[in-house]
Amino acid sequence: MNIVGLALKLLWRDWRAGELTLLLASLVIAVGTVTTVTLFVDRLQQALVAESATFLAADRVIRSGDPIDPEIIEYAESLGLQTSETLGFMSMVFSEDRARFSSVKAVDGDYPLRGRLIAGDEPFMRGYPVAAGPPPGELWLESRLFPSLDVLPGELIDVGVASFPATRVLIKEPDRGGGISNAGPRVLMNLADVPATEVVQPGSRLSYRYLFAGDWETLEVFSTWAAPKLGPEARMFGVKEGAEGIGEALDRGEKFLLLGSLLGVVLAGVAIALAAQRYSLRHYDHVAIMKTLGATPRRIDAVFIAIFVILGIVSALAGALIGLGMQAGVAAILSPYIPIELPPPTMRPVLLGLVTGFICLLSFALPPLLKLRAIEPLRVIRRDLGDPGISGSLTYGFALAGTLGLMWWYSQDLLLTLMIFSGAVVSLVLLSGVAFLMLRSGRAVGMQAGSAWRLALAGMQRRGRENTLQILVFGLAIMLLLILYLVRTALITEWQAQIPEDAPNHFAINVAPEDVAPIRSLFDDHGVESQPLYPMIRGRIITVNGESASERDRRIGERGEDAPGSSSGRNLTWSKVLPDDNQVVAGEWWPENYSGPPLVSLEKDLAYRNRLKVGDELVFSIQGIEIATRVANIRSVAWDNMQPNFYMIFAPGSLEEFPSTFMTSFYLPKDRKRFLNKLLRDFPTMTVIEIDALIEQVQRIIGQVTLAIELVLVLIMASGALVLLASVQASMDERMKQHAILRTLGAGRKLVLGSLLIEFCTLGLFAGLLATIGSEVTVFILETQLFELEYAVNPQLWVLGPVVGIVLIGAVGILATRRIVETPPAKVLGELA
Amino acid sequence: MIKAKDLGKTVTTSEGQLTILKGIDLEIKESESVAIVGASGSGKTTLLSLLAGLDTPTTGQIFLGDYEITALDEEERAKVRSELVGFVFQSFQLLASLSAIENVMLPSELRGDSGAGDKAQELLERVGLGHRINHYPRQLSGGEQQRVAIARAFASSVDLLFADEPTGNLDTATGQHVIDLTFELNREFGTTLVLVTHDQRLAERCDRAIHLASGEITIPGMPPEVVSGTVV
Repeated sequence: MNIVGLALKLLWRDWRAGELTLLLASLVIAVGTVTTVTLFVDRLQQALVAESATFLAADRVIRSGDPIDPEIIEYAESLGLQTSETLGFMSMVFSEDRARFSSVKAVDGDYPLRGRLIAGDEPFMRGYPVAAGPPPGELWLESRLFPSLDVLPGELIDVGVASFPATRVLIKEPDRGGGISNAGPRVLMNLADVPATEVVQPGSRLSYRYLFAGDWETLEVFSTWAAPKLGPEARMFGVKEGAEGIGEALDRGEKFLLLGSLLGVVLAGVAIALAAQRYSLRHYDHVAIMKTLGATPRRIDAVFIAIFVILGIVSALAGALIGLGMQAGVAAILSPYIPIELPPPTMRPVLLGLVTGFICLLSFALPPLLKLRAIEPLRVIRRDLGDPGISGSLTYGFALAGTLGLMWWYSQDLLLTLMIFSGAVVSLVLLSGVAFLMLRSGRAVGMQAGSAWRLALAGMQRRGRENTLQILVFGLAIMLLLILYLVRTALITEWQAQIPEDAPNHFAINVAPEDVAPIRSLFDDHGVESQPLYPMIRGRIITVNGESASERDRRIGERGEDAPGSSSGRNLTWSKVLPDDNQVVAGEWWPENYSGPPLVSLEKDLAYRNRLKVGDELVFSIQGIEIATRVANIRSVAWDNMQPNFYMIFAPGSLEEFPSTFMTSFYLPKDRKRFLNKLLRDFPTMTVIEIDALIEQVQRIIGQVTLAIELVLVLIMASGALVLLASVQASMDERMKQHAILRTLGAGRKLVLGSLLIEFCTLGLFAGLLATIGSEVTVFILETQLFELEYAVNPQLWVLGPVVGIVLIGAVGILATRRIVETPPAKVLGELA
Repeated sequence: MIKAKDLGKTVTTSEGQLTILKGIDLEIKESESVAIVGASGSGKTTLLSLLAGLDTPTTGQIFLGDYEITALDEEERAKVRSELVGFVFQSFQLLASLSAIENVMLPSELRGDSGAGDKAQELLERVGLGHRINHYPRQLSGGEQQRVAIARAFASSVDLLFADEPTGNLDTATGQHVIDLTFELNREFGTTLVLVTHDQRLAERCDRAIHLASGEITIPGMPPEVVSGTVV
């Protein structure tokens, strides 16, 4: 009979005898978990990217001050990408009595490619989604323009030399963004009407945006092709670069999901290793007998490798199917809670699951199976021969190499992989020492205790090496779960803190100095929460330490895309106190009553990119007057916090004499938006920017990332539980035997169960303690190095870890070994003989 | 059929070197039945393992048929075992996950022979277990398990049968039945039988007995302390 036939026969007989159940279950669940997690993450990620794309109204955008080469658009269309074009410019728009400087955007019939345009019939009221922008010959105005131009929907508005009726209210455009640069109230018109207005003249400041949407690969092909063809004025960007405020959340979310998958793989690997170890142990006698019957070591190898490959194929396929089914189920159950439609799964995660299954099998299950070749036939006569001498380093080497390879493959990030991996290896080595010491001390305490205690602790110490290993495995599983839990909590807390429920959702700019006091009292009268009113003065740096700022900009040159140049015009402000959420990273903030020579505080990215440091002498040009200052400090700014933020803040006494306008931000709940009508009618010169829609969108996406994280946590927990079960199962035979002997010697049910419970709970306690120490250290490294979060010690962990350990392992252990007290001892001994 | 020259086995323990066998010379002819007898710890099971090629001696040579197995590696020894040797053990050594017939088929399957099933069925019928071929070891009594083991030993048409205390785990009547069966089949197949036992009656049924004491071949009746310089 050929090897495969024999292997199949042996496998079938093993399956029938229940020898394969645990190994197969571990493999199937490993592949299943990885497939489920990666499939779901893949779909969610696709969905999130799609959702985030609504921030751009596209998947890719080329922004340029001049029209780009039409060839680029033609190429995109030839690839099957959707395209659209918009043109933005600032212009005065006129009603019969009033004029407003507005930000006009002209769009074609395909805009937007992603996200939805919301229009309404009445200012500041809820709108409805519309398929496209205004048709030729019509204008849509943002709500606040109606009161400030004092018009009603349907009335005529002049843009340049043309007149159009303002047919609808523009409630929301997907790619509006929150920047002050986009501050003017929006007028949306059709691109075809632009020539008629005659506002676009040579030298006009125009912003062309070319939008592209399509599948990721095609976009990549297109971007690679188009990037070198763009002029210096043009810039191409995608979702992550384009979506302020959520880019970071997405990035961290992805890292977390990745981390989750990695830990899932490790857990699955441990489960497989344990199950394979048990399978191999239980086959020592098989192999010894087969060898006495004349099976050569080479034949044993061939048979078991065949078994191994068949197992791999069966379990990987079953796991992948289960994974597909599971994630479909999860997606179906969660669909009411996921506000976006999940795109269909791709095959990549399935392939990932299959390959993972095989690599896990190869690195975790092959070494124990290879031990079988070294079994001596003499074992049939001398049962005390024990473990064959296959080198431990080979076994661990396989597992380590496999894990490392898988982690690298998953993350595509060698540094991250090495960081987590080396951390894990170091903690494992240290922890095994600690575990061993814990066991010893357990024995010392146990000696004075009652009978069940003594039995349990003596048993634990007798199997010292196995139990050290088991504590490590338990500890590792609990540690991974704690790590995921902690990082998740830290991330979510940070996100929620980033945009609290009542975060300012409106900006008010261009507030005249004489309006400051009345506006403040209007806010107070209507109970509107607002930030302080900051003066805002345009100005720019003209020299840095005596060198011309614009020449210096050219000299430094290599600033990243969109890096703020030092010589560009900026909004300046002054303040006695450091704004909320700002942190001084170099130098010192000035005292509140400062009254010396002019000082300035710089935002850290601006300072870094322009090589500016504390003590540099800057000369500003403000309204034609030169003012010499010194950099007093550099500060970090939380740009995501939806509050007035400034690149440059002056000390008190430097800017007061300049005429300025003021700005602030305030919070207005949805049902009080009509307040804006009053505000803008009373103060027509001020500009209000509504960012409530943007905030809502950010919160929704963060909600989705959070949901994805929770899901992954649950899935990983399931595989953690499996590891625990596999680990308990792996030690079953030994325990069964010991307790069967005890029972034949007359030990009662209570004593046996009691000693088992004590044994598992003690293992759980030690494992929990280890897990706590390990996860604190790992989370510290992860949060500070990977997620750039603030680390704080987690006191709750020191209770949670041990309690989880005791409860989980106690419960799993007793459930798995209950059979010991329920099976007649003779049967147990007979089976194990 | 079997020849051993100056066979010795020494193992290293925590208390130093321990000599289990020393200066064993013997020859067993084809179709002969030989009992190896001696007290517990006299080294008889070790001698059997060495003769069967399950273990390697520290010194000396062993010839099985045309092979000098002491010059072979495990791979080659396994092939010799497959070709020449069958076993019956005190603890039966049936695979618990295999039914009676599957256990008997195993040697043929490992060799890749065809018709393993028919032959196994025939042998099981021959040992009186034709009605229990699909039973698992745990469903069989000790005597029945040993009969399955005997059927397995003869399933591969070997020239040599090694039996290690085949009745050690059985009561007298069952043991007697198993022994009768072994000798019957042994005669039928013309096998050379090497049997380890401390059952005097069983030893007497063999053509001759080799007596071991403290790891050396001795003459029955001679007190062990007379045997020179060996420690067990």
